[in-house]
Amino acid sequence: MAMRARHKIRAPRRGLVSTGTDRFESDWKAVESSLKKIHTKDASDLSFEQLYRNSYNIVLVQRGNELYERTKQLEREWLCEEVRKRVVAGISSSLLLVQEVVDAQDQAVERRVAGERFLSVIKEAWEDHQLCMKMITDVLMYMDRAIASDPRKVPIYPATMALFRDHVLRSPIRSDSQTTVDDVLKSTILFMIKLERSGHMIDRALIRHCIYMLEGLYETEMEEESSKLYLTSFEPDFLETSTTFYQTEGKRLLEMADAATFCISALDRIAEERERCLYTLSHLSEAKIKDVLDNELLRKNLFEVINLEGTGVRVMLDNDRLDTLGKLYALSARVDAKKTHLTAAVQKRIVEMGHEINGASIALAQAPAPVKSADANAAEKKEKERPVNQLTTSAIKWVDDILLLKKKFDNIWQRSFQSDQVLQTAITASFSEFINSTARSSEFLSLFFDENLKKGIKGKTESEVDALLDSGITLLRYVKDKDLFEAYYKKHLSRRLLMKRSISMDAERQMILKMKLEVGNQFTQRLEAMFRDMTISEDLTNSYKQHIQRMGDPDAKRIDLDINVLTSTMWPMEIMSNTRDGRVELPCIFPREVETIKHSFEKFYLNKHSGRKLSWQPSMGTADIRATFQRSNGKTQRHELNVSTYAMIILLLFNDVPTGESLTFEEIQARTRIPDNDLVRNLQSLAVAPKTRVLKKDPMSKDVKPTDKFFFNNEFQSPFMKVRIGVVSGGANKLESQDQRKDTEKKMNDERGASIEAAVVRIMKQRKTLVHSNLISEVLGQLSARFVPDVNMVKRRIESLIDREYLERIAEDPPTYGYVA
Amino acid sequence: MSSSESPQAEYVTLVSGDGFEFIIPRSTACVSGTIRRMLDTSSKFSEALSGRCVFENLSGVVLEKVCEYFCYNEKNKDQTNVPDMDIPPELCLELLMAADYLDT
Repeated sequence: MAMRARHKIRAPRRGLVSTGTDRFESDWKAVESSLKKIHTKDASDLSFEQLYRNSYNIVLVQRGNELYERTKQLEREWLCEEVRKRVVAGISSSLLLVQEVVDAQDQAVERRVAGERFLSVIKEAWEDHQLCMKMITDVLMYMDRAIASDPRKVPIYPATMALFRDHVLRSPIRSDSQTTVDDVLKSTILFMIKLERSGHMIDRALIRHCIYMLEGLYETEMEEESSKLYLTSFEPDFLETSTTFYQTEGKRLLEMADAATFCISALDRIAEERERCLYTLSHLSEAKIKDVLDNELLRKNLFEVINLEGTGVRVMLDNDRLDTLGKLYALSARVDAKKTHLTAAVQKRIVEMGHEINGASIALAQAPAPVKSADANAAEKKEKERPVNQLTTSAIKWVDDILLLKKKFDNIWQRSFQSDQVLQTAITASFSEFINSTARSSEFLSLFFDENLKKGIKGKTESEVDALLDSGITLLRYVKDKDLFEAYYKKHLSRRLLMKRSISMDAERQMILKMKLEVGNQFTQRLEAMFRDMTISEDLTNSYKQHIQRMGDPDAKRIDLDINVLTSTMWPMEIMSNTRDGRVELPCIFPREVETIKHSFEKFYLNKHSGRKLSWQPSMGTADIRATFQRSNGKTQRHELNVSTYAMIILLLFNDVPTGESLTFEEIQARTRIPDNDLVRNLQSLAVAPKTRVLKKDPMSKDVKPTDKFFFNNEFQSPFMKVRIGVVSGGANKLESQDQRKDTEKKMNDERGASIEAAVVRIMKQRKTLVHSNLISEVLGQLSARFVPDVNMVKRRIESLIDREYLERIAEDPPTYGYVA
Repeated sequence: MSSSESPQAEYVTLVSGDGFEFIIPRSTACVSGTIRRMLDTSSKFSEALSGRCVFENLSGVVLEKVCEYFCYNEKNKDQTNVPDMDIPPELCLELLMAADYLDT
C-alpha cells in the first residue's frame, strides 16, 4: 500500500470542474433523487460510479460541507416523515394501555401479539435504515474523507444513526404524549422477558434484533463503548425489573417450596438468565444479571433456605442428599467464598449428631442404672461386673458411631462440597468440638484400639487392619487432651503386653508408628520403651534359663520362670506402684517354692546390672499349675490350671491344708498379704465363678466376706485338661469406674502440672524476663500438642514457681517475671 | 439474492471513459476502496448486480496503469523490499487523481 499515503495530496483542479453553482445544484439534484431511491429500495438501476462521481465533483468544488448538511437534512426529513410514522403506526393501543394497568391474563396474550408486531416494525425500520445508510455512506465516501479533516464533524454514518435515535426512538408516539417510542420498546421487551420467565415461549430472535439496534446506537456521536443505548437506557431498567422479579421469586420459593426445590429452581434460574443474555439480550449484561441473581435470590434467601425447617441442610445431611447438597454448595459458593451459612449449618448438625452419639453412649453405659440399694456392698459387687462390660461396649460403639459419622461427612464433603477447604476445616472443627466435649473420649478411643488389637483384627487382611487403625488415628487427631489418651493407651497396652493378649505384635508396632507420625516423637517415646522392655525381658528370661542349666540344678520340680523386667518410669503408675491410697503396702508373701526362685533370679539379675532395684509386681502375672484332685471314689483327676499369680499363691496355700479343712479369708490374707481388692477378686474367680470352682466357699454366696471359709474342692469337674481361670474384672481392659476415673484425672492433673512447670522454666530460662500474658501464650503454644492447659492451672504453677524461687516478679504493670538462675 | 449470484463471479469488468474494458479478478479490483464498495453485494447498485464498472472520468491509458497497479499490489501484498513500479512521468498527475478517486 505504498500509494496509500498519497491521497492526502490534493488533486490539481481541472479546468472543466470550475463551473460553480450550477454544476453543484445539478449534481445535488442527482444525488438527492438517488438517495431517495435508495430509501425506497429502488437502487438496482442506480450507478454507484455515477453517484460517487457526483459527490466527488461536489467535494472538489469545495461544497462538501453543504453536501453533508443537505444529506443530513434529507435523512432527518425522511426519518420524521416516513419512518416515524410507520413505527408509531406499529404501536397498538394495547401496548400503551397495559403500561398503566396491572396485567391481566387475557390482556397478556393481546399485548404479546401487539408487542411482537411492534418489535418487528422497529426491527424492519432499523434494518432498512442501517442498509440505506451503509449504501449512502459508501456513495458519499469521498465526502467522508474530505470532512474527516474537520474535527467538529463526525462521519455521515454515525451522524445519521444519531438522527435515527433522536427522530425515531426518542420521538413521542403522539404529539401530546410524553411517552417515546423508546419507552414503548423497553416496556415491550421487558414484558416479553417477563413472559419468558413465567414459562412462555417468546420470539427470542426478534428481541435479539431489537437489542442489536440498541447496542448499535450510542448516546453521543463519538460512539464510546460505555455510551451504548443498550447500556444507558435499556439495561438499568432490565436490571431493576429483574431485581424486583427475583425478590418476589425468592419470597415465593421460600414460602411455597422446600429447600431442595429452591436449589433446583435457583440453579435453573441462573442457567436461564445466562442463556437469556447469550441468546436474547446482550452478553454485556451477563455479569450484571448474575449479580442481581446472587444478591436477590441467593444472598438474601440462602440463610433461610439452609435453615428451613424440615427440608433444610439438616434433613439433607441426615438423608445423604448428595445432589441437593451439591447444588446448595454451588449456590453458596457463588455468593460467599466462605459459605458462612452453609458452614454454620453443617457444623451445627455435626455437633448435634456428635452430642447424640455422646448421649447415646452415656445412656447405654447407664442403662443398667446402678440401683441404690440399702446393702450397698452386695449390690456393688454385682454392678461392678455388669456395667463395666456394658461400658466397654458402649465405648466401642461410640468410636464406631463417630467413625461412621466421619465417613458420612467425608463422603458428603467429597461428593457434594467438591472437597472445599473451608468446609473441611469447619467439619474438622466440629468433630473436634463434640469429641472433646465428652471427657471420656480419650479413654473410649484407647479402648477401641485395645479391643481391636485384642480381638477385632483377627482374620483380617493387613490392609483392613491398616484402614481400621488409620480411622482410629483420624479420631485421635481430633482429641485435644492427647496426654490423657497416652495415659490410657499406656495402661491398656501394658495389659496387652504383660498378659500377652495382643493378637499381632506387628499391628501393635504399626499402631505406634502411626501415632508417631500423627502426634510426634515425644508422644510415643514411652510406648516404644515399653516394647523395648518386653524384648529385653525375653532375652533376659532366656539367659536366665541357660544360667540355671549351667548351674545344673537337679531339682526337676523347679518352676519355669518367665519374667518381664519393666522400667518403672515408662510404664503406667498403677502397675508399678507399691503404694495404694497413700500408704505403703508390704510386698505379698510368696510361697516357699516361688520365693527361692525369686531370690535366685534377683541374684542373677543384680549380678548383671548392679545398682538396680527389682520390685516384684505379682498383680499382672499368670502361672500354670498342675493340680491333683482326689475324687471321693479314690480316683485322681489332674488338671492344668492357668491362673493369675495371686490365685497361684492362694492355691499353693492349700497344699499345706489337709483335705476337709478350711482357711478363712482373714487367714489367707494374713498368710499372703495380697491386697484386699485383689484377694477378693481372685477368691471370687476361684470359688464363685461356676465353671472354675476350684475352691468351695462357706457360706455359698456370691460375694466374699472376711469371715468366709474356703475349702479345696476335690470334686472339681471340667471337660478340659487345661483350665483357664480368669480374674473377675481385673484382667481385661474395661472402662474405668467413677472412682478409677477420678484417680486417673488426679494423676493426669499432677502430670500436667509438672509439664506446665517444665514448660514455664524452659521458656523463662531462655527469655530471662517475660510479660505475664506472653508467658501464658507461649506455654499454651508449647503444650497444645499434648493437651489444652487450663489457664488457671498455669497461673497457679507460676505462683508456685515464684514461691519456690525459680521465678521472681520484676514489675507490676504490666506484670513481668524474671528467671532466677 | 439470486441476482447477486452473477456478480459474485470471480472476474469483474472495469470500463474506461473512452471504452476500454479490463477484466480482472474481483479480489484484485477490490484493492481500491471505491471499487470494493461499488461491488458490495449487500447494497444493490447496478455495478454490484452486473459486475461491470464504468469510470467516466478515467482514460484507457490511466485505467490500464491502475489495473497494473492492482495486480502489482495484490502480488506483493505481504512483502517488503519490493522493486518500485515503473510509472511514466507524463501519467503521474492523472494517476494521482485516479488514486484519490479510487481510494487506493
